[in-house]
Amino acid sequence: MDIQLKRGLLDVCVLASIKDEESYGYKIIKDIKPYMEMSESTLYTILKRLEGAKMLTVRTAEHNGRLRKYYRITDTGLKRIEDFKDEWKEIISIYRFVTKEDQHE
Amino acid sequence: MNKQEFLSQLEGRLSGLPKEDISERLLFYSEMIDDRIEEGLSEEEAISEVGSIDEIVSETVSNTPLSKIVKENVKPKRALRGWEIALIIAGSPIWGSLLIAFSAVILALYITLWALIVALWAVEISFIASALACAAIGTVFIIRGEPITGALAVGSGLVMAGLSIFLFFGCIAASKGVVKLTKKIALGIKSIFVGKEKQNG
Repeated sequence: MDIQLKRGLLDVCVLASIKDEESYGYKIIKDIKPYMEMSESTLYTILKRLEGAKMLTVRTAEHNGRLRKYYRITDTGLKRIEDFKDEWKEIISIYRFVTKEDQHE
Repeated sequence: MNKQEFLSQLEGRLSGLPKEDISERLLFYSEMIDDRIEEGLSEEEAISEVGSIDEIVSETVSNTPLSKIVKENVKPKRALRGWEIALIIAGSPIWGSLLIAFSAVILALYITLWALIVALWAVEISFIASALACAAIGTVFIIRGEPITGALAVGSGLVMAGLSIFLFFGCIAASKGVVKLTKKIALGIKSIFVGKEKQNG
């Protein structure tokens, strides 16, 4: 898959994984795993980028005697997911057009 | 390798990056390892799943802006003494001009590279233009009743068109190559600063 496309998709996947409730690093990786393979360093970069874009907030909380970071989606993040859905409606219609052309050949 | 060894090795390899960045990353990987252990993996397994140190370092370096790395490395480890500051100022005509010259050479090389790409695309465009022109002239000749000259012109047009298609892929490949090379050079320059303390020690 095209790197640029994959990066954009991973961003939205991470946002989707925290959409309903806040989550933490390892859980995010596990949730996305069935759909896309992602390394920890990639996740770190994405989380940083999304935090910088104010699409999520971070809080540190105690868990089993150690600290763990929890990520929560913001309104901006939710809007990103909605924008993504709209964008993909267009892409799907383009895809239909492209594959239709294939069948004629 | 246990978790402590993994983290301290990673810390060494990331030296040269801003301190806060390093400690934040170490906390992140530490949490990732702990979460896996909590799920029932052994320490070794957890570490190997988190990824190799090389992978983490190269990902980190390519995602940290060069300016941040340079700033961190240029920053003195201790406060400068008066005579050191005086020496730096007195020496500025020498190191200042050397620094400017060095940056200028790098910039010039980079511009040259892109100039080559621009030239390549210019050749491509002229091929297309001549193909169109030859076809047009050939048609005029044929209409005016000079089919042989006309065919010759149209033929040359087709040759030009063929060459332009051939060169088009070359142009794209060369442009992509330069973009890739730029990324590699950036990574190379950053790597000069990052992790050198560990290697020396």
